[in-house]
Amino acid sequence: MATVDLHVSPLGRVEGDLDVRVTIEDGVVTSAWTEAAMFRGFEIILQGKDPQAGLIVTPRICGICGGSHLYKSCYALDVAWKTHVPPNATLVRNIAQACETLQSIPRYFYALFAIDLTNKNYAKSPMYEEAVRRFAPYVGESYQHGVTTSNKPVEVYAIFGGQWPHSSFMVPGGVMCGPTLSDVTRSIAILEHWKDDWLEGRWLGCSVERWLENRTWEDVLAWVDENEAQHNSDCGFFIRYCQDVGLDAYGQGVGNFIATGTYFQPDLYTDPTIDGRNDALIGRGGIYADGQFHNFDQARVSEDVTHSFFEGTTSRHPFEGETKPVDPAEGRKQGKYSWAKSPRYDVPGSGFVPLEAGPLARRLAAAGPNPGAHQDDDPLFLDIIQKIGPSVMTRQLARMHEAPKYYQWVRDWLDEIDLHESFYTKPEELREGKGFGSTEAARGSLSDWIVIEDGKIANYQVVTPTAWNIGPRDGNEALGPIEQALVGSPIVDQEDPVELGHVARSFDSCLVCTVHAYDGKTGRELSKFVINGDM
Amino acid sequence: MVGTGGTEHDPTTTPTGTVIIGCGNLLRGDDGFGPILVRQLWEDGVGDHVELVDGGTAGMDVGFKMRGREKVVIVDAAATGSPPGTVFRVPAEELEDLPALEGLHSHQFRWDHALAFGRWLLKDEYPSDIEVFLVEAENIAMGAELSPAVRDAMPVVKELVLDSIGVRP
Repeated sequence: MATVDLHVSPLGRVEGDLDVRVTIEDGVVTSAWTEAAMFRGFEIILQGKDPQAGLIVTPRICGICGGSHLYKSCYALDVAWKTHVPPNATLVRNIAQACETLQSIPRYFYALFAIDLTNKNYAKSPMYEEAVRRFAPYVGESYQHGVTTSNKPVEVYAIFGGQWPHSSFMVPGGVMCGPTLSDVTRSIAILEHWKDDWLEGRWLGCSVERWLENRTWEDVLAWVDENEAQHNSDCGFFIRYCQDVGLDAYGQGVGNFIATGTYFQPDLYTDPTIDGRNDALIGRGGIYADGQFHNFDQARVSEDVTHSFFEGTTSRHPFEGETKPVDPAEGRKQGKYSWAKSPRYDVPGSGFVPLEAGPLARRLAAAGPNPGAHQDDDPLFLDIIQKIGPSVMTRQLARMHEAPKYYQWVRDWLDEIDLHESFYTKPEELREGKGFGSTEAARGSLSDWIVIEDGKIANYQVVTPTAWNIGPRDGNEALGPIEQALVGSPIVDQEDPVELGHVARSFDSCLVCTVHAYDGKTGRELSKFVINGDM
Repeated sequence: MVGTGGTEHDPTTTPTGTVIIGCGNLLRGDDGFGPILVRQLWEDGVGDHVELVDGGTAGMDVGFKMRGREKVVIVDAAATGSPPGTVFRVPAEELEDLPALEGLHSHQFRWDHALAFGRWLLKDEYPSDIEVFLVEAENIAMGAELSPAVRDAMPVVKELVLDSIGVRP
């Protein structure tokens, strides 16, 4: 039996350092370790600061999901300060957050994920040339189209939020903006253009309404062959290509899922609380584990540090969370191997287990029982995983399915804004309190827990979708979701293990922004340009 | 309803004038130099024809912000091994000789990656007048303040930027 250790770094093209180590036996991955290679410590930065510091600091955690960070940090404060949020403010927050995700969907698909579809390992596929024609980086027809139009939705964000990325316009009690009728009509025009041009024109090859009629996997397959436009759309091609090269056959993962949900029905969340959150959601939250649905309950979340570079081997709820780093060299002697903690969820009857976060988790929550009249009720992806299981393809399709759905929601919310009503209610800045705020970033559940004592932040914990997915083993030695998803992947060419990239990227993980951590590569040339070298 | 692609009916207006883009992560000490400079210029006031952009760490979006501008000024931190606070003005020929697109990481962007991406993205709308100022960082630890040498470089860079856009302080 041939055993080979492969070390691939970095797999994620977004936001920093993720090292993945896998063991391969006879061409199949048998075990995996995901190592977040960088200490972040935002929680330490926030301790002792003004309670509103999270609104400034957390949007800088990521250059891609800054709006999502702002959204949940704001709701954490809304809960802690018991604010009153006018319906208009909820609508604007919904619109902004959804537009950030609409931006991420094509940008992620073309600029990060689909590049691997042109890997030479697939050259034997009869569809390979077409894949290259569409998806080759910078020159592929669809790549160019998708990437160059991907900023349109965040232009809408900027109309309301002043800027994207890193806006801080959502504040406890509402939003800091006073949109005009022309802001709303301009937003509608931008979105309609983006929908006609890319979403329907290139991705779907049909109307958003037609795509959203699909309720089962058979419906999707019939949709692909319904006409030339759909068959040859990027979506139709992607589904056919996945089946041809086998992306529907691996990357299953832990098979258990968490969504905290996002977007609130404006009149149901004017006074945000933890208890009132689930029922006010439009995009539902929920746990889907061992084939059973459970309501999401933040009290059941815990972060295990057994294999993380933090003191001890405990598992703590984020309100009691600690961020006490240890020297990685010492940590490795104790079996620790990642800067990520391992978020786990106490599933009734199963105990603390790893759960996959992300669009597939959201799509499963949307298929759960007893939806409210205002809530997303969509059976498609429950049907798909019951028939063909989770896979790289399924996860990807779930992500793309949200583009037409969120487009429709944003259009509705834009119509619901009442320009004559308020967008903000000044809150009372309570000196004591606890808050929980959460949303669904494009890549999964993103939550803050804040404890305020004596008017200052006593504890602040951020649990990102990336942590849910890339977290290492826990105290029970259960693998994290990406680790588990890598196991069983077939590796055709050990010199170029594209399969590992597919699996890891199908989770769309993003680590902290190391974007501008300059490495000195250009130093030699730049030293010629010194204009005040004696400073 | 089903279009043929392209952006020919783009309803958004193309911006003109000058844009100053400060890049970097406010949470990482001297890496926040660009955004902090942009905030100071905002407070000082630079005139209506100049747009100030906090580019943060969304590297790809720097490319989008440059679309159709008459002039672009980018301010960023650098780590070249020079003494902290050293200010660089990147010469025009270096702005022509940008890195290859292949192998760019979507968010491990340096200023030159952002320009290379922008040139690909914008094609005819890629600005011809671009200036880049860099400041040597000393400390990019999470949560750090600007280090003294880099803070001292702030007025120097501010003056260079204002000079380059024809606004005298």
